[in-house]
Amino acid sequence: MTQDAEAIRARAEDVAQAGVWLRSVSTKERVRWLSKASSTLARRAEDACAALSEATGLSAPMVRWATRTTLDTISEETLLELAAQASKRSSPSSKPIAMLSLVLAGNVFTAAVRGILVPLLLGVPVLAKASSKDSLFPAMLLDAIRDSDPRLGASLDLVTFTGGDAALEAAFVERADAVSAYGSDETIAAMALRLGAKPLIAHGHGVSVAYCDAEALHARAIDETIERLALDISAYDQRGCLSPQLVYVEETRHMTALSFARRLCEEGLGPMGLSLPRGALPIATGAVQAQWRGLAEVEGDLLRGDAYAVAVRPSHPIRWSPGYRNVSLSPVSGIDDALHAMKPIGANLKCIGASLNSVSSLRDRLAQSRALGAYVCALGEMQIPALDAPADGRPIWYGLFRP
Amino acid sequence: MSTRSWLKGRIQAMLSDFENGIGVDPAVRDELIEDLAEWQSQEIPEYGRLQRLGPWPPALPTDVFRFRRIASQPAHEDVRVFRSSGTTASERSVHAFRDLSLYDFAARVAARHMLFPDIERLRLVVLAPHEDEAPNASLEYMLARFAEWFGTDSIWAWSSGALDLELLSGALRSAEASEEPIAVLGTSFAFVHAEDGLGDQVFALPPGSRVMQTGGYKGRSREVDKQVLLEAIGARYGVPAPWIINEFGATELSSQLYETTLREDIYGGPGPRRLWVPPWVRATPVDPETLEPVEGNAVGILRIDDAANLDSVCCIQTADLAQRLADGIVVLGRAPGATPRGCSLAADQALGAR
Repeated sequence: MTQDAEAIRARAEDVAQAGVWLRSVSTKERVRWLSKASSTLARRAEDACAALSEATGLSAPMVRWATRTTLDTISEETLLELAAQASKRSSPSSKPIAMLSLVLAGNVFTAAVRGILVPLLLGVPVLAKASSKDSLFPAMLLDAIRDSDPRLGASLDLVTFTGGDAALEAAFVERADAVSAYGSDETIAAMALRLGAKPLIAHGHGVSVAYCDAEALHARAIDETIERLALDISAYDQRGCLSPQLVYVEETRHMTALSFARRLCEEGLGPMGLSLPRGALPIATGAVQAQWRGLAEVEGDLLRGDAYAVAVRPSHPIRWSPGYRNVSLSPVSGIDDALHAMKPIGANLKCIGASLNSVSSLRDRLAQSRALGAYVCALGEMQIPALDAPADGRPIWYGLFRP
Repeated sequence: MSTRSWLKGRIQAMLSDFENGIGVDPAVRDELIEDLAEWQSQEIPEYGRLQRLGPWPPALPTDVFRFRRIASQPAHEDVRVFRSSGTTASERSVHAFRDLSLYDFAARVAARHMLFPDIERLRLVVLAPHEDEAPNASLEYMLARFAEWFGTDSIWAWSSGALDLELLSGALRSAEASEEPIAVLGTSFAFVHAEDGLGDQVFALPPGSRVMQTGGYKGRSREVDKQVLLEAIGARYGVPAPWIINEFGATELSSQLYETTLREDIYGGPGPRRLWVPPWVRATPVDPETLEPVEGNAVGILRIDDAANLDSVCCIQTADLAQRLADGIVVLGRAPGATPRGCSLAADQALGAR
């Protein structure tokens, strides 16, 4: 814990100074450095699996899966590709900002990887803040980055301090050119007010949904659909903004939403609970879960498993689940009906995971939509965004270059 | 005789027995709850949809009262509809009554047993709106009945949405002068408003005076730790701590739970501060996953089976965290409604926003 504003200020200054060296080296050098750090982190995370499980509340197999799938997206090729894309799509005269202050989200521990690596790759030093109980993985990432190249590693530092302290928050952000933060719409609005003219890269409240078309329910495809959807629901125990809360299912003559839900439980979520068990349910979440499940039973059908539940109910009104593998499944007549049902979610919709046949159709429709700006990916990949996947409808490097 | 009349008769008999000092056998209560739930599952389709998971009838989540009408009678037979307050959700819990006689009976005997066991009538000072100002609030309804059943004269020191500090101060000074005990009854946030507004005025209420506070804050005042508020009330009004008790009630229920300290101070056998559960009620912390009773004094979510809930549902699953303590329970507070959904909560916690 760093409870001293002056100490935070000094560390911010050190990070900003180290940025001079960071920007002076070539992209290729930064790519090698970060790729090496990623490999180091993968080894260490495996060794620290039990501690990460304890810190995150996820089961050890889930921690292993999360670190592996996240760090698998980091390679010299993907880093180079991202740097090239960012360079091509930003203005030739634009330069990276001098420093970023980054408030890390705690619910998906591996989110720190993209949050930190992308700015460093583009030559932006980072001062990150984690909550004290969620700082283990970011601290491991920091160590891996510094061990891989101490001089470049000085361009990243990590602080933890008690939230809500205005003096500490001011010290944390004042040296930065921009601040990146996750939070509810109210939190983001309050932070924007405090930052004044300083740019805020806001990641407001977000939720995600899945869509299964009739083709995905056909006998030749349903096994894969179930496997992929069950993974999306189970990953990170459905605590992330990319976790599907709602699944829209295009019913067919042969497969109703309820019969699909039964198969999803028996063939997907049940077995997934054995290979990637859910972490312990916090009691406060359990209280909300009991309310959600009871209401689901009243309003539709509820299928309960050992550590999951699927509610089959109409698409309206939306009843947000508490996560932890509690998902709603709603019948729709097709893609347009599904998009209509998603409309009330508006800008909070972050990602739509879709069966393969519908990915491009959804992208086309969303490109025309003024209400929805979600990222579309294939089922089974919702929680494994590529390094260059957009965030909140914007390129991942958004805000990291001077205009 | 209809099933409803038969059930109502059994509930009334149980309440009468308690009022007359005849012990209520928990097995008889459990059987009554079982029969009530069976009848209610036939009369109320929403409740009938719930699956029975363990040995007890299913408990209807309080959230359902926010979205569905839960009543065995059609709306035109309602004699009173209670609505919860609540500023955090657009919908409020609604509890429609066909008949208030059981509510009144349960409220009267519980309050007599726990809040007024030693005195027939006394002056009431109420820090809550009068029933006329809040006709749909169950607390205000109950306080108005208290005035009828237990009050000599009563003063409502809250009107038009604000505490009348002058009236309150005058009533407290008058009690000091008369040396007649009074009861100050109100919501926790009203007591906080009083703390904020009374400045350096302190009172020495006559012996036998008592305070009952209830409810949460719901954003209507600054939030004060329970123990801190207890000490502040004691210091402000000159009432000893055991005579300051909490009442636990809910819009979805017909019965109330009271802290034990006042009664135990009068009749002996002092134990830890806990909520007394009326013998016609079963209050049980349950496991959130299995919905079965937790072991020992582990924390669970509070399920309340209230036999006085005849025309709605008697088995209620709240979102409150609770644990057993001796022969009673302790409510630890409401589980946060906003759960980690998307990326917001964890970051909000990191920033100290909640």
